[in-house]
Amino acid sequence: MTTPVLLDTNTYLRLAKRVRPFVGLEFGQVQYVLTILKVTEDEVHRNPHLQFRNPWFDQTEYAQERIAKQVRLTASEKAQVEAAQSVLLGWARMDLDRFTSYGRSPPGEADCWLLAFGQVRPAVVVTDDLGMHELVKDFPDIKVWHGYELLAKLRTAKVVDDALIHAIYEALEANGDMTRTWRDAKHTTFKRVFGSGPKA
Amino acid sequence: MHKVIHSENIKQSLQERGWKQKDLAEALGVTAQSVTNWLKGSDFPRPDKLLKLATTLQLGFDKLVKTDTVGQPVVAFRKKAGAKTTDAHIDKAMVMGALLKALVPFLPPMPALRLQLPAPSTEYEPLQAVVSQVRARLGLGEEAAVAYHDLIGEFAANGAVVAPVLWGQKQNHKNALHILLPQENVTFIFLNLDTHQEDFKFWMAHELAHVYTPDLAGKEAGEDFADAFAGALLFPMAVARKTYEHARTGTKTAEGKVLTDQAKAYGISVFSVFSEVNRYAHSESLPPLRHTQEQIHQMRQIQRGKTMSEELFAPVPTEPGAYIAATKNTFKSAFFESLQKMIKNKETGTGYIQQVMDIPMQDAIALHGELID
Repeated sequence: MTTPVLLDTNTYLRLAKRVRPFVGLEFGQVQYVLTILKVTEDEVHRNPHLQFRNPWFDQTEYAQERIAKQVRLTASEKAQVEAAQSVLLGWARMDLDRFTSYGRSPPGEADCWLLAFGQVRPAVVVTDDLGMHELVKDFPDIKVWHGYELLAKLRTAKVVDDALIHAIYEALEANGDMTRTWRDAKHTTFKRVFGSGPKA
Repeated sequence: MHKVIHSENIKQSLQERGWKQKDLAEALGVTAQSVTNWLKGSDFPRPDKLLKLATTLQLGFDKLVKTDTVGQPVVAFRKKAGAKTTDAHIDKAMVMGALLKALVPFLPPMPALRLQLPAPSTEYEPLQAVVSQVRARLGLGEEAAVAYHDLIGEFAANGAVVAPVLWGQKQNHKNALHILLPQENVTFIFLNLDTHQEDFKFWMAHELAHVYTPDLAGKEAGEDFADAFAGALLFPMAVARKTYEHARTGTKTAEGKVLTDQAKAYGISVFSVFSEVNRYAHSESLPPLRHTQEQIHQMRQIQRGKTMSEELFAPVPTEPGAYIAATKNTFKSAFFESLQKMIKNKETGTGYIQQVMDIPMQDAIALHGELID
């Protein structure tokens, strides 16, 4: 029995080109499996800027990998995910102040679909969206990791090595895609890779 | 916010399943008393139990939780030709409205005294009387052409915040979106700059009509009045009369030229000129112009001008800095200034900009970067 690890759009775009193979990869003692939902695929296809910045997204190798590993929901599961998505969206919108502070944004429809899926089919959601992390504090059954936490687990499972972690961090810097959480993790979670960082 | 469970919907759902309250309590892992208290309105489920309730009964948030409709945004679209407004479009606009509430505390003080048109009418004479008053307020003579910057000041003076947006010419179903927040007494008006100049001015005038008639917001009568007001404001009776007299003296070809010349002179579409001249003729019981509506639409397609974004930012696409500056300087709008205050004050994330402006995430990231610099 595997536990799906659902990748949000940004996590997929940050890691899928460098960690090969990616979608469908099983790792760890819990037997996690990297998974991408159609909602994530659709998000990229709806956004010409994302497609322009990530021309590799629709290359055969990546597209086939995603299609081969797509998850299907039964009608009942779909109805449950829709209901849960609606509650998550509604809950965040009732407390806008909390979800517009400290780098957060109110989670949108695609975000809440992933979280709802994680509630209905026990799964882990991987996202760097701080609003999503804040939201799940109220819904402890939904498990969420930051992108760097996934990378750390892949390192523990010996799927990625230190050289690849260096390359991923360099790419984040080069693409102007370095988030606060990834930066903070560089000399904490990845202390063994990058050292403990400059002394304050 | 006081939250109450929609007990009628839950009772109905239980009945459909043949469940009792204790069955629901068991499914959710709570006591029967908890369920009783939720349904009585004396208690509200913890969020994780609310989520379980949703998945168990397969009911969405609106079916589970009674929401206060008093402060709900009122939305109105200016659709693209042929576009259909679906429930999804309305939901999205309502969400934008809900999110805009968070921006309101960062807006500059709004004027308390605002122009409101009592008993607005689409009848020709009363409408022309209203338009005369508004033109006088704008300092325009009865035959003067209205420039879009003549209208800009009226928005801020009447508690409306203009947000010029770059929604593309084809990608989005709407060219303007009007969101009234009744409790906050603020209106946000999103205007698509990727539209032809002659249409843009009409939409501005249309939106201004909504600002003057908040009681008609979201109603069909409000849309009808806004369309009639915009046409009359931009091409009033005095001009329509002269144009009619001129157009009827020559051949049909000459009539077409008179109409297109006037469209150019007034910076509006030939269709607006045609419509206003025919309205004048109708009010005076005169024969209509010889062109048909279809013929005018064909002429309009041939004589398309530049888009507003091409006019303002050539070459397009523009940089975020220029776009933000144009919003402030050209449209005298406090939208980005307020957004900047909010982002700096609260450290609001990029996703807020993306959702509140209905733009792609990459554009939101670029704007966010510009605003926090």
